[in-house]
Amino acid sequence: MADGNAVKRNPEKGYVALLGWSLSAVEAADSFDRRYVVVAPEWAADYCESHDIPFIPWNFERLNDRSMEIATTLKEKGVDVAIPLFEETVEWAGAINSVLLDNPRLFGQAMLLRDKALMKRRAQLGGIRVGIFEEAHDKGDVIRFLKRVNQTLLKLEGDPNDPIHLKAFDKAGCLGHRVIRTPDEVDMIPDEEFPVLMESHLDGWEFAVEAWIHNGKIRFLNISEYVTLGYSVFVPATPELEKYREQIRVQIEKLIKTFDIEFGFIHPEYFVTSDGEMYFGEVAYRPPGFKVFELLERAYGFNAYQGMILMFDPKTTEEEVTNFFPKEVVDAKGVAGCFGVYPRRRVVSKLEIPSETEDHEYFESHELTAPVEETVTKRTAFGTHWGLIYFFGEDTHTMRDLLKRQEDLDFYV
Amino acid sequence: MNSSEPNDSDPGKLQNLTAKLDEAIRVLSVAPAFAKPTKIRRVFDTVRRTVLQEGGCAVVEARVKQLDEAGVFWGTDWLYPEILLPSLSTYSLRSSEPDSVIIEALSELRMLAIALGDYDHPSISSEQAHHYLTQVMALNLSLLFGAPTEAEREQQGRLAQVPRNLFRHLAERIGYEHIVDQLVDEIWRILQQRPIQVSGVKEMITQIASCRADPNIELGASGQGADRLISSLYGTTQACREDPGVDIYDERLLSMDSGALQYEASGFARSMHDTGLVSPYHTVLLRYLLEQNSHLLSEALGLSSTGRDCMLCYEDLVRAIIKETIHPQTPQAVLGLALVLERGILYQPPVVPALWRQLHLPVSAYCKERLQLVFGPIPSPRARLMEGVLCMLGQPLGVGQGNNPTCQSARALSMWAYNDPDYLLQMVVWAARDDEIIIHFEGQPISSQESKTGVASDMSLDMDPVSLVVVPHLDRIYAEMGRRCIGREGDPHRWVNPEFHGWWAGRGFRINVDVASGKLQDLEGFLRHFYACYHPDYNGNQPLIHPQPAGVAVTDSAARFIGWHAISILRVATDPHDVMRVYFYNPNNDSGQNWGEGVIVKTAGTGERFGEASLPLEEFASRLYIFHFDPLEEGEVAGVPNDELQRVISHVHKSWGANRIPPVDLQATGPADDSPQPLGSDD
Repeated sequence: MADGNAVKRNPEKGYVALLGWSLSAVEAADSFDRRYVVVAPEWAADYCESHDIPFIPWNFERLNDRSMEIATTLKEKGVDVAIPLFEETVEWAGAINSVLLDNPRLFGQAMLLRDKALMKRRAQLGGIRVGIFEEAHDKGDVIRFLKRVNQTLLKLEGDPNDPIHLKAFDKAGCLGHRVIRTPDEVDMIPDEEFPVLMESHLDGWEFAVEAWIHNGKIRFLNISEYVTLGYSVFVPATPELEKYREQIRVQIEKLIKTFDIEFGFIHPEYFVTSDGEMYFGEVAYRPPGFKVFELLERAYGFNAYQGMILMFDPKTTEEEVTNFFPKEVVDAKGVAGCFGVYPRRRVVSKLEIPSETEDHEYFESHELTAPVEETVTKRTAFGTHWGLIYFFGEDTHTMRDLLKRQEDLDFYV
Repeated sequence: MNSSEPNDSDPGKLQNLTAKLDEAIRVLSVAPAFAKPTKIRRVFDTVRRTVLQEGGCAVVEARVKQLDEAGVFWGTDWLYPEILLPSLSTYSLRSSEPDSVIIEALSELRMLAIALGDYDHPSISSEQAHHYLTQVMALNLSLLFGAPTEAEREQQGRLAQVPRNLFRHLAERIGYEHIVDQLVDEIWRILQQRPIQVSGVKEMITQIASCRADPNIELGASGQGADRLISSLYGTTQACREDPGVDIYDERLLSMDSGALQYEASGFARSMHDTGLVSPYHTVLLRYLLEQNSHLLSEALGLSSTGRDCMLCYEDLVRAIIKETIHPQTPQAVLGLALVLERGILYQPPVVPALWRQLHLPVSAYCKERLQLVFGPIPSPRARLMEGVLCMLGQPLGVGQGNNPTCQSARALSMWAYNDPDYLLQMVVWAARDDEIIIHFEGQPISSQESKTGVASDMSLDMDPVSLVVVPHLDRIYAEMGRRCIGREGDPHRWVNPEFHGWWAGRGFRINVDVASGKLQDLEGFLRHFYACYHPDYNGNQPLIHPQPAGVAVTDSAARFIGWHAISILRVATDPHDVMRVYFYNPNNDSGQNWGEGVIVKTAGTGERFGEASLPLEEFASRLYIFHFDPLEEGEVAGVPNDELQRVISHVHKSWGANRIPPVDLQATGPADDSPQPLGSDD
């Protein structure tokens, strides 16, 4: 449990625990002035030891009787607050922080943020617009919901159905996310995926928001624009989306109030329909996937994880916060985006970055690796991409079109 | 994938990439060590695209120091430029894995910056970097002059353009026209030292030959001097001028009369003694003569009257050696055999029976495997080992340590081959047959099997057959001798050197560095004593009798200390210009080195025999830190002129001794962190 950079830590500031293993988060914490400790599964131990990273081993499975143990351990070490890095550690952070900060309400809040159905109901109660949703316990529920939604939309027999979305209650992002259009597709869902949350499809523009919250106030609000959900994202967004910024801010403030969030970081998703109406999708109390934090650092130059640490640390001062964050949109040095590559062919033998991608002046780097096996597993749900490609440039529209264009290219041939 | 596509030459694009590269380097350099691997990707991607641009290599070259310091080589062998082998670049530059190509390219650009003096690297001098680059270019000439081959295009795609752009840049920076000519000079310079290991040289010659034969490659006027080198391997005589292949050559021999055969024989012999390289055709001729015209054998070996006498005395042995050992795959054995005969060592009673034993030696399974791994299955490992034995006995000063920190073992082998050939033959037998060598240290036996670790933890295999088999044993024994000296005051070489090398290594010992502090001690006394022991003017005009182990502080061309190194002093004599020189053996693979401040080690032109290195005595003394002497032969210590000693002392102070001057002597310049290590780190 050494700390290689102990010298530069400020003992006057808070001591934070990072829940879960994320190299980027550790790197950010290591380069920051707060004391920190990584709480992660045993397999990270050797790595932490050899790199002087302060570490406590912990197995985050289902919350159990031992949750008090880790809270006590951290309290004894003098840790002030725990920061969740993954969906699975959100309720752990809630449980631990309710002890560390002596605020039992935090645990309930975390549970609410972990369950997509509870979350939607609470949002609805708070006067936030949500789509039609319901829980499904078996395939029958799904078929009924599909029919009812399409009846509501006044579809006639034979008209193509509007799709519905199925999501796991407690998984992050696109994991377990399916789109269902016909009753036939319902048969493809394995029984073990139930129960699920069903939502009507909103024909709108989906986007995500990242908000850093301190003392109940938004301190930095980023709008991440999706070109195609699950494929690509860029920050800052195009002016067309940014024009909703004030409306979005109002929506986030509602969310903060409804979920009673005093500090931390949230990552909600919204739809804006053609008439400018905002629909709440879901919200997470942890960093977004798809490397949005990395994109933010590229675009603005501040480290989003360090921003998170600031928000969670009860000893952070107002002045520190003001100095830390740049001004949204105007302070961005450019636009940063990334594209998640899925192989498009059924059989692939090698990785070959198309020259039009690589030669584009916005291209920065890629994380793709050569394929290990030739046959591509058929994608059932949204699945996981094979790696990301990063772009950076001046113009948001060029970025949007560039990312869209990638969808038509083969990276694995 | 059109490989002849011109490089992009859009200045705006390069500017854009340069900005991206600077950003990527910045991010890498500020990342904590554990996070660096996640930042490398972007650096590599950006470097690759930059290098593909016109002028991109220059952009990367200008930033290569920053890249190095940011950690781009961390966790790889490329972090240590001093250990890189030019021959491996061939594989990484042609790899289908972009990262291998990029890191090799970065490494080459770093060498370039070092070679041109733009980057002072702590562990490699600009001369070494220059040498390295010349060799890399030589080994990859096709990358400089040729378009990508089908295979490269298929495997590397656009990546194939990266090494080409790199090489063009390297050539432009170093000077295009010089490369091939320089390379030819370089090959000649190396061959003049008559190394046993010539595979690297052969590979370079082959590259030049294939470039010259390729109509697509425009060599211009350069490379003319390569003719003799190429012909020595591929077209030495009239009957093999066009490199017909050994089978056809064999057939041609059948129809030759004795005049024609004699012409062939003398042609091969002349070329062999001229270059030190032997053509595979030469072996075909020898084997043919063995059956048909054995009176021409001595002609074909190019023997003088000494060698011919020796051959006539032991004709059965020589015939058996040719029959068993000399094959088209082992041409260098011909030179080895010729030189063994010329040295007259067969007249030493134990040598002939020992060679008979060697011819029929049962080689252990382990040694067979090692020999086959390095040299291939044909001919047999025993023949391969015999080739090595012949070469080592014939060219004792041609032993090289390869890329291993085992200078002591290489020095011992060379010394034995030179001075005590039957002892060497005994060592080879123990190692190759028994997989064990036992040497006594102060009466106690030390077994190479029981001593597990040597100085070299990982031994590379770029060695001659004898070294390959024997050095691992010697290295372990040497290290064990060092371990037995732990706790003794002073430098362990005092006891280890005589026990390890042989009775003739003087038991008297002088060192001019205090082991504990790393500071110089009694430098004047040390030098005065050295002069009195070795300089003929002060030792009663006594030529050195046996080679003596000695230690030098090797410095780079800027006279900065690089490391401690083991050599042996062979003789001290005046050269053709009446300068008193020390002639010595350096186990390093290439003795011609620039040690800075005008101290340039010569390997030819000032009276050196093949394989010898030399320096004027004064300059040699300025780099010496250990020597042995016979305590009963004191010499005229008082007679050594003071002003000469003062000159040497000032040379020491200006070079490797700069921060070793003890506080009492002069003002201290800070602590030295390079005390002579108890054995091992000197290589």
